[in-house]
Amino acid sequence: MNEQASYKQELALFGTPARRRRLAAALAVSAVLPFMVSPFQLDLANQVLLASIGALALMLLTGFAGLISLGTAGLLGAGAYTVGVLVREAGAPFWITLPVAAIVGAGLGLIFGLPSLRLRGLYLAISTLGLHFVVVYLGGEYEAREVLATGVMIDSPSLAGFTLTSGRAWYFVLLAFAALALLVSVNLQRSRTGRAWRALRERDVVAGALGINVQRFKLLAFMISATMTTVAGALFAYFRNFVSIDAFSLYLTVQYVAMIIIGGMGSIPGALLGAAFVVLFPYAIEAIAAYLPARFSNIVFALDYAAFGVVMILFLLLEPAGLLGIWQRIRNAVAAWRAPKRTARASSP
Amino acid sequence: MSLQLVANIVVLAAIYALVSTGYVLIYRVSRVLNLAHGELMMIGAYLLVATAGIFSGNPLLALLLAAAGGLAMGMVVYAVLMRWLTGEAVLAAVLITIALGILLRGLSILIWTTQQYYPGATFGWHNPSVRIAPGVQISAASLAIVFLTVVVYAGLFVFLQFTRWGVRMRAAGQNPLLAEQRGIRLHGVYAFAWGLSTFTASLAGMLLSLDSGVESTMATIGLKAFPAALVGGLDSLLGAAIGALIVAAAEIAAIQYVNPLLSDVVPFLVLLVVLAIRPWGLFGSREQLDRV
Amino acid sequence: MIELHLNEPILAIDGLQVAYHRIAVALHGVSLRVLPQAIVAILGNNGAGKTTTLRAISGFIGLDDARVIAGEIRFAGQRIENQAPHANTARGIVLVPERDKVFPNLTVAENLAVTSSRRVNAAERRQLEALVFQFFPPLADLRPRLAGLLSGGERQMLAIGSAIVCKPELLLIDELSLGLAPVVVEDLARRVSSIRRELGITVLLVEQNAGVALDIADYAYVLETGRVVLEGAAAELRGRREIRESYLGQASGDERRSYRALRHAPRRERPDA
Repeated sequence: MNEQASYKQELALFGTPARRRRLAAALAVSAVLPFMVSPFQLDLANQVLLASIGALALMLLTGFAGLISLGTAGLLGAGAYTVGVLVREAGAPFWITLPVAAIVGAGLGLIFGLPSLRLRGLYLAISTLGLHFVVVYLGGEYEAREVLATGVMIDSPSLAGFTLTSGRAWYFVLLAFAALALLVSVNLQRSRTGRAWRALRERDVVAGALGINVQRFKLLAFMISATMTTVAGALFAYFRNFVSIDAFSLYLTVQYVAMIIIGGMGSIPGALLGAAFVVLFPYAIEAIAAYLPARFSNIVFALDYAAFGVVMILFLLLEPAGLLGIWQRIRNAVAAWRAPKRTARASSP
Repeated sequence: MSLQLVANIVVLAAIYALVSTGYVLIYRVSRVLNLAHGELMMIGAYLLVATAGIFSGNPLLALLLAAAGGLAMGMVVYAVLMRWLTGEAVLAAVLITIALGILLRGLSILIWTTQQYYPGATFGWHNPSVRIAPGVQISAASLAIVFLTVVVYAGLFVFLQFTRWGVRMRAAGQNPLLAEQRGIRLHGVYAFAWGLSTFTASLAGMLLSLDSGVESTMATIGLKAFPAALVGGLDSLLGAAIGALIVAAAEIAAIQYVNPLLSDVVPFLVLLVVLAIRPWGLFGSREQLDRV
Repeated sequence: MIELHLNEPILAIDGLQVAYHRIAVALHGVSLRVLPQAIVAILGNNGAGKTTTLRAISGFIGLDDARVIAGEIRFAGQRIENQAPHANTARGIVLVPERDKVFPNLTVAENLAVTSSRRVNAAERRQLEALVFQFFPPLADLRPRLAGLLSGGERQMLAIGSAIVCKPELLLIDELSLGLAPVVVEDLARRVSSIRRELGITVLLVEQNAGVALDIADYAYVLETGRVVLEGAAAELRGRREIRESYLGQASGDERRSYRALRHAPRRERPDA
């Protein structure tokens, strides 16, 4: 009962019984998880959830619409800084800062997206790189002017007396946001917008000739992606109770790019897999580093860089389809191993 | 504008121009944007630290060895890594160079830590200030950088225009398929382009280390030099030189008259302006935009 | 020079099948023979598979994810399918491509000088370059001109010239006449003929302009949707009704012919196996 028997079923998000079963299982696991793991592991899960929002946003832009962007860190920083500035200057509560961050994101998305109307590929990536540095500069300016050598401290968000500090509470909040991001992504993928983006990715000139308003959809892609990213950045500010422009370096952008490559470009499960991989990777390296001579374990972040670089190179060279590609290969190999073998005798002349 | 300011601009332009030759060489010959260039430049400087440590009594030998290492480094990077991407989408190659840059940054900290090194001091050389005109002082190393940049540009020009290998490199850059057809081995040409690129980058890194030392954030200079190459058109050496002057002038003027903090962002503001007005740069061609 | 009896083909293709992206078959079993020092033409419309055939021979088959999936290509007895382009150039198979046939930002002189075939030593290279200027005198005055600024005919001359400097045994020319005025094309064709005569090389010419090709060729094959549908000595083919009607635009009789009638006209001929 896994096939879709009607158009209505195909349209519905969970049209087949199999999908509904999987959804139920996922819901059950996610509900129970925070009570079954250690606080440290819960924090890891929270980081993965937070990262998946940004990863999905980048995936929409680059994987779906084919628009290369190296501006993720800048947008995350903009979201975080919006919260930081509003909290510091006006003591604004989260139900103001988050929407403002979203609006800032939409605005920045428009700006970051303008070059895409004229530029493609490499040149587009370079323009987003330039914008990243501008955003980073503005953040650094603020910190210098306000003499904030170590960044802005932010209180945890609170509503009606309840303050969001515990790992478990954060888990459910982040799960909700991540689920929302996932829903948005899945729906966009199946919508008219998603199809237009796919056409853009393949050949935007042809798409234009077919009557698709190329400009509108390119800007829409940037704006939606940027909004999701800045909101993720805002959440990050509250999650860490702290914002400093140093955290938003090019390396952070590369990590997000790596998420969608390692996970598997152009697919939603890929983005989630990639987010999990990239977030958990440094912890794995740290664990290994404990076994290395002291000289290395003292500069774990360098070991991180080196190992991350190696892994990214390996994926780009050997498995451009990412983890999903590897998974596919394993599945094919297992299916081939399981399939009944036919003798060659029957068909020879 | 005082003469000292002009001198500062010339020195900064020379640094950017020298570093840009690497971007231009690789892009022109193989259409790849090497975003690990800054890190490779930094490793060149570290090579000098290494050779200086061994041959502290013989600076010339140390410099030559480090330069030779720089040349070899690029060819090795091509032979081991980049050659597998020849013929694939350019974007994949660029992503790999980004990953390579991260790898190199990590490795260099693992090997040399975050400490600052002064290979000049190892030679007992303290980079005196030179008075080149009334009221105008620059460091001796800066003067050397300017001279070296001129020599390198002249040398590259002669090489590309008049030698067999140079013409082959230009041909491979214009039409790789036809070049293969006419007997030019692309892998050899590309490897040499990479070698030349890291060679000039290492020279820049070495001189910078003699001027102000080397530590793990030196690679940023490499990234700041990129807008200079872009302004020129990414595949033109002359363009890169002019672009370097423009970027350096903008940067120094901004530091002097507006805000010193702008130093790291001005090159990218110039980059954005160029991309908005004339993305293919001063000497590039419109078709370039579609090739990527 | 390759040691061959004059009746043994220098190039023999048997049942060649080429597929793009592993599924779109472009050549469905093409067979042809080229005798040494002959000029052989491959005719056909767009999409017939002519360029694919040349690509398979020259080794540029890997472009656009294409592969030889069946059949053989033998050059001087050796099999050469799916090998790298420079391997085939080293054997003396030189291609003059349909597009992008010169280095536009190099001068004419540099275009000739940049060839690096291992088959050619310095003395031979000087001789060959001199020969090129004999075959194409207009190029001599154009030596310092950038190739991108040449006219279509001059560019084609340069392209053939740079192929000659690679000391070809087999010269593959893809669309000699494309985009060129008839007068220029006739002139080029004559020069190709004299090149064959004086250098003793073999020429395989892919052409949409059947008239010009049949004028200089010894033998010709007609390709249609990836198959050889007609072959024969050039003189004989020129007289065939099918060729005259389909490729030379000469109608026979007074009846108005519809396109549909023409498409379904019996045209298949079995080549002598």
